[in-house]
Amino acid sequence: MAYIPVNSTAEFVRLEINADGVDYSGNVAAAFDGAGSGNVLVVPALQDVTVNATPGTFRWKQLDSLSEKVVTIPSTNSVSVTMVLDDTAFFTGAGNTSGIFSITNNKTETYFRLYWQGNTSGDKYIEGNGYLEALAPTVNPDAPVWTSPLTIAVTGDYTEGTV
Amino acid sequence: MSAIRDALLANVTTNISSTSCGVSSELPWAQGDTPLYEKNMKKFYLSEESSATTQLFATIDRNDVFQKERSLTGFITVDAKNQPNDIDTVVAAVINSRLAIADQSVNECAVAVDTEEDRITYTFEYRFVTITN
Repeated sequence: MAYIPVNSTAEFVRLEINADGVDYSGNVAAAFDGAGSGNVLVVPALQDVTVNATPGTFRWKQLDSLSEKVVTIPSTNSVSVTMVLDDTAFFTGAGNTSGIFSITNNKTETYFRLYWQGNTSGDKYIEGNGYLEALAPTVNPDAPVWTSPLTIAVTGDYTEGTV
Repeated sequence: MSAIRDALLANVTTNISSTSCGVSSELPWAQGDTPLYEKNMKKFYLSEESSATTQLFATIDRNDVFQKERSLTGFITVDAKNQPNDIDTVVAAVINSRLAIADQSVNECAVAVDTEEDRITYTFEYRFVTITN
């Protein structure tokens, strides 16, 4: 039994995105480790992260059974975060990857990689691609710093990997 | 001495210059059991600044957002039996001096009034908040 703590510098959750316009669908890893590595934007100041990986199910009842029957249907996958907005990540971006606002506004296909507990050798990650949605920046006088939720609507499966 | 205290004192000095009250740059220390503002009535005294930095937003990668809260306390005592005619003007001017501190997300000033024997003491609690990393 080993927990997955994220409370030390080497263990921080790390979310990287690449939306440089190149099609990496044949090899998502290349968006981060290969040709696309110069266009990777690290999303800083995450307040919370939720990975949604929910297989859909279809249930039915039949007269010759005391319990429901179930079959799976395609999963709905998404990664949701809440973040404190950083000027560079939100507006500027990195390399050919625009800032988060532009990526959302332009509906640019986005490749992502989420490290669960740091990104050194042996650390686990999941990656995939999708679109940014649910951006809703907010600020108020009692909390005068912009924050926003953000969801990556994942198309297709997650891929699990190890650094 | 803090920049906020300097700015507040300068602003209060200007704002009440034409009233019956004045401003002391001394801290409101006590001589014996009697604080200076009770000994020298109709003089505005302002405390040294207190501050606290607290977490506003926690983040997973420790890019936390903090807020720094600074507070100061001002005092002015007048004769309860014979209040200055312009005491309302003085109190309003002291309260408004909170706006002289720029670049704050909170500029507050609360007033409490205490009557003891033949003295009325107005206590002004200033509170200023800024965002910091």
